[in-house]
Amino acid sequence: MGTRRNVDRRTILKAAGASAATLGLAATTGCGGDSGTSADGTVTIRYSWWGADERAKKINRTVALFEKKYPKIKVKTDFQDYASFWEKFQTQASGGNPPDVFQNAVTFLRKYDKRSVLLDLGSQIDAGNLSLDNFRAGVTKVGQVDGKQLGVPVGSNTMALVIDKKLYRKAGVEPATGWTWDDYFKALKTIHDRTKVAGDTGYFSIMYLYDLYLRQNGKAFYTKDGLGFDKADLTEWWQDGYNRVKAGLVTDPKIVAQDTPKSSLSAGHGASEFTWDNFTVRYSAEGDSEYGLAPIPTMDGKHTGQYLASLMLSASARTSHPKEVAQFIDFMVHDPEVGTIMGYDRGILASTQQYDAFKPTDTVNKEIAHYEADTAKAGVLGTITPHPSGADTIEAAFLRIGGDLGLGKVRTSDAVKQFFDESQAAFQA
Amino acid sequence: MTLVKDSPPATRKAGSAAPAAGRGRGRRENLAGYLFMSPWIAGFLLLTAGPMVASLWFAFTDYNLFNSPKWIGLDNFTRMFDDPRWQKSVEVTAKYVVIGTPLKLLLALGVALLLAQSRRGQAFYRAAFYAPSLIGASVSVAFVWRSLFSDSAVVDRTMSLFGVHAGGWVGNPDWILYCLVALTVWQFGAPMVIFLAGLKQVPKELYEAAELDGAGAFRTFWSVTLPMISPVLFFNVLLETIHSFQIFGSAYVVSNTYCGPADATLVYTCYLYQQGFKNAQMGFASAMAWMLLVAVALVTAVLFWSQKKWVHYENDAEGAR
Repeated sequence: MGTRRNVDRRTILKAAGASAATLGLAATTGCGGDSGTSADGTVTIRYSWWGADERAKKINRTVALFEKKYPKIKVKTDFQDYASFWEKFQTQASGGNPPDVFQNAVTFLRKYDKRSVLLDLGSQIDAGNLSLDNFRAGVTKVGQVDGKQLGVPVGSNTMALVIDKKLYRKAGVEPATGWTWDDYFKALKTIHDRTKVAGDTGYFSIMYLYDLYLRQNGKAFYTKDGLGFDKADLTEWWQDGYNRVKAGLVTDPKIVAQDTPKSSLSAGHGASEFTWDNFTVRYSAEGDSEYGLAPIPTMDGKHTGQYLASLMLSASARTSHPKEVAQFIDFMVHDPEVGTIMGYDRGILASTQQYDAFKPTDTVNKEIAHYEADTAKAGVLGTITPHPSGADTIEAAFLRIGGDLGLGKVRTSDAVKQFFDESQAAFQA
Repeated sequence: MTLVKDSPPATRKAGSAAPAAGRGRGRRENLAGYLFMSPWIAGFLLLTAGPMVASLWFAFTDYNLFNSPKWIGLDNFTRMFDDPRWQKSVEVTAKYVVIGTPLKLLLALGVALLLAQSRRGQAFYRAAFYAPSLIGASVSVAFVWRSLFSDSAVVDRTMSLFGVHAGGWVGNPDWILYCLVALTVWQFGAPMVIFLAGLKQVPKELYEAAELDGAGAFRTFWSVTLPMISPVLFFNVLLETIHSFQIFGSAYVVSNTYCGPADATLVYTCYLYQQGFKNAQMGFASAMAWMLLVAVALVTAVLFWSQKKWVHYENDAEGAR
């Protein structure tokens, strides 16, 4: 024992030194982040987005194109589903390490502008690294907040009613432009009576749809810094919704809970769903039926309350490569070949170069094109102002509490109160 | 560690001139010991102690990850008691602990009693019952669980054979928690192995004596086995209770990250996670974490206090006799 205890001091020091060195190494790799400039001047930028596998496959092809054209810029990609993406993003951004460039939407502009996470692309536009020319009318406005260009749109989309065409045909229901909410709810009943499938997957807990309904009534979901409706409005909306769940017109939330992450529409448990028009691409890949688009029901036979929204690309205010990031965005929004690869996956292509380059040949993409053209022609499109900070939390709360209500687990008045309490907390956060 | 600790007396015995040099060497060897431990000490300080101190500070602040934390005293703690979802999360967690832990331990004890008797293929049975404990905590098993308990899936169909049409448990707020309970009970292997070890320690003479006194199987269990393994039982109760309070992964995955439907699987840590990482209310989430620590400490204290009444350590037993 005595001799074994006397481990040579040098051995100990060596071992300790080695472990300290390993720690040190681990620390440097841990802190270095992934973006950087290597010895030969190659710059690496990180790009992340949310979406399904379909989108990732297409985006990775466009990234390969970009790297071929800009051999000195390498792009590291990363994607998740919507909710996980923003969770991860928030954590990264709070640690000062958000991706250099990422997919963004109108709900998040004010939130992350307030927290100084977003790069104002104006200076890069002035420097000629990024061009806002050749965009379809009005779309670039969606990325502006208080005179700053915080995002550049890749596509425009609008809320729509995505329908299971086979079920609608079977029930003999034909949606028409200008149909009213009464028509719609009658249609749900007809569908339920004739096909035994619920007509709608849960309209009353979708924030963006309630926004349209409020707009049709001269209000809106958000004002500049708060909610644009009162408890009485929401009580009526939710109580009616709950009654329709009980009547079987709306999919049982128990089923909806089990279908996630799939939509209950593509799972065959509902005949229609209010969502963004470009989701038809996803549902067609996900489900077995044929999916198409129908007009948003109205109060007065005309006003749908719709507006053009958009997915966009934003950059991190902390990126060490603003120029390369600007070049990347410029390529992604203007290059015609990128347009033909992406199609309408993220909405109708925003720049005219891409819009002209992509000629939809399949029914789904054609239908989306028609839908937005018709909507624009009907002259119903309004403008959207960026949502106040906290809107993302409120959207999730609206969906969750609406779902709880549908399950019959809370009284409508309690649900409404809970929603207003949580909204207040979210605005203040 | 032990090696280093043991060394000074040994060195001192070696020679009369040694003390001074020995102390020097002892110190050096202590230093060496600490150097060897340094990666773990650094890890503990950086990854455990540091964040704990930080979260204690955050617990008294308004902190949304982006602002600098603002001191608000006890506001986060008082807010909890006004928050219906916090109350719900406490209720769900309590229900899970109170139902899941006893069921799991009963099953573990029952199977351990069966496996304690010598029979053919014993090693196989032990391994087979233990296996779920090894894989049960993994995310993939939780995914499997979600699909097993969905509409028209295995469990639903099997129950339909017996005339129970419950539908999928996963979508049903009244049932989904039992799906999580089933998942934890299924992992009874770990406490079972500990029970088995305890059962092996019970002296054979006691059973012989009981037999001579004409005690039946139940009486023997109640008066011999149970008191003799009560320290092991205490250990298992303690461990499983603390463990149950911290449930997160299975609730998060089985409910597809929403901890629903209707907050039916909103266990405490899940709500903590939602507040901290979804809603960016890190101050409130930190306060919740410390509240959980206090609650678990209290429950542990009560368990320790109660052991006087029902746990028999060999020394006490001898004294009592």
